[in-house]
Amino acid sequence: MTAASLSLPPGYEELEAFVPYWALDSNDQRRAARSTATMADIQRFYDAIVARAEQAIVHCEQFTLGQMPPASERLFKLLLAMNHAAIAVEMHGEPRAHESTWPSAVRITQGPWPHGGRI
Amino acid sequence: MSAVIEQPASTKHVIDERSFTHAAGLATGPVSVEPYRSPEFFELERERVFKRAWLCVGRVEQLPQVNGYFTKDIEIWKASVLVTRDKHDRVRAFHNVCSHRGNLVVNQSCGVAERLVCRYHNWQYRNDGELIGVPDQKHFFDLDKKTCGLTPISCEVWEGFIFLNHQRQPEVSLAEFLGPFGSRYAGIPYFNLDETIVIQADFKANWKLIADAFAEPYHVPSLHPATLAPGFAHPEENRYARPLSAMAHGIHRHFSAYGNPHYVPAPTSKVEALVYVQDTGGVLGGDDSSNAAALTAHPAINPTKDPCWSADVTWIFPNFNIDYSTGGFWTHEFWPVAHDRTHWTLKIYIPKTMSIRHRLQLEHYACRWAEVVLEDVTNCERIQRGLESGAKDTMILQDAEMLIRHSLHVLDKWVKADRVADALR
Repeated sequence: MTAASLSLPPGYEELEAFVPYWALDSNDQRRAARSTATMADIQRFYDAIVARAEQAIVHCEQFTLGQMPPASERLFKLLLAMNHAAIAVEMHGEPRAHESTWPSAVRITQGPWPHGGRI
Repeated sequence: MSAVIEQPASTKHVIDERSFTHAAGLATGPVSVEPYRSPEFFELERERVFKRAWLCVGRVEQLPQVNGYFTKDIEIWKASVLVTRDKHDRVRAFHNVCSHRGNLVVNQSCGVAERLVCRYHNWQYRNDGELIGVPDQKHFFDLDKKTCGLTPISCEVWEGFIFLNHQRQPEVSLAEFLGPFGSRYAGIPYFNLDETIVIQADFKANWKLIADAFAEPYHVPSLHPATLAPGFAHPEENRYARPLSAMAHGIHRHFSAYGNPHYVPAPTSKVEALVYVQDTGGVLGGDDSSNAAALTAHPAINPTKDPCWSADVTWIFPNFNIDYSTGGFWTHEFWPVAHDRTHWTLKIYIPKTMSIRHRLQLEHYACRWAEVVLEDVTNCERIQRGLESGAKDTMILQDAEMLIRHSLHVLDKWVKADRVADALR
């Protein structure tokens, strides 16, 4: 693995593969990622991030919100995306609400700070 | 001997079986679905309801300082409106239209400015509506700037909520319009005003279908089985999420929603258990016990003071909800676009993010809400197709759907009444 491909803090290498798809800037983007993923992909991400969630939270708690170093911020974005994966895994048992339409007319135009995004 | 197998009544939670519908003085027969599918009825709603009623367009916190402003498109008026806080700290509203050639003056959604400039020919207005600058004025003919200000819109504030009225001289004041609702719901503490989660949807259904969706909890166990039902119904104690109370307040109305006091995230819901902070029940938002105590003490909130309470839904006629829970409050604006098109804005007021864990909870909260919205929007588009097919001319409402019946009753009065005073009776 090259230095450039290591985008998370040391010790989180097993989550590296999930960064391109799940480490996103806004709530609405994370929701869209989950809503359009296969259940198998969502489950793989869910299992990997849940296994490290408590440690990752403690890691991120070292920093002030909104002022994390880039690698830790990416890890934090994976934790944010974990909530969206949980909607599929823990609530629906499918990527989004049963028989819901997609593309959707629904948009989260303003999410909580930081990394909530604003459309 | 009955052919019906009677279930023994639950001893845990006794549901008050008084009829909300009878108590509100409403009839109980089927109701017409024409108001949901008729373009002609929609035009009546535009002229007789939305151009005569007071409509909420936002809160005073959107104008946090003197010279703050925001704009809003009100499609049912075919208008862009400008709401300002002038230098005397008064909240004012105007048509966002230049007196020169009718262009829109402000094209930003919000900002801070004492002077607002139409970029077509740089005509300048003060945020109290006065026209204060006209380039090359000497080549106009008898231009009297005093008569060429922005066109004002009647604007009044109730409990921090900004209401506008399309009538140049409103037939009734906002206080008269709100009537018994305005006095009953005065003095409620609004907390967590720091930030908002905003969820919006533009979809193919009549505006009343989505308003109706939030007016009754009867559909919660079936349409929202995973997102809401575990917190707002109970398989034995309140299987159909029957409201704790539902009442009409003049032309406005409320219902109090049941909350499952036994709710805890399922053992398999590892993320929900990890991120949620819960003190007083209810899955919508983290609870703050001191704020919650002040809210629940107010006589209008959960008026029967039922211990299994989760939230109050209030529906201010015609298209605005303020909903109160121990975790804070949220509002719905249901904006008609066409008889089969709606723009819906849900604003959830949340506290400032306090910690990493709190931020994760807010993310879960936002995405749970978006999923509820997705379920409702998908459902409303299906109902619209069902109604437009002409297969049914009426719909059948049960007692827990009293607010929908009351909404249609009031709407009918407004489209028929020539004077607003008559519509308020």
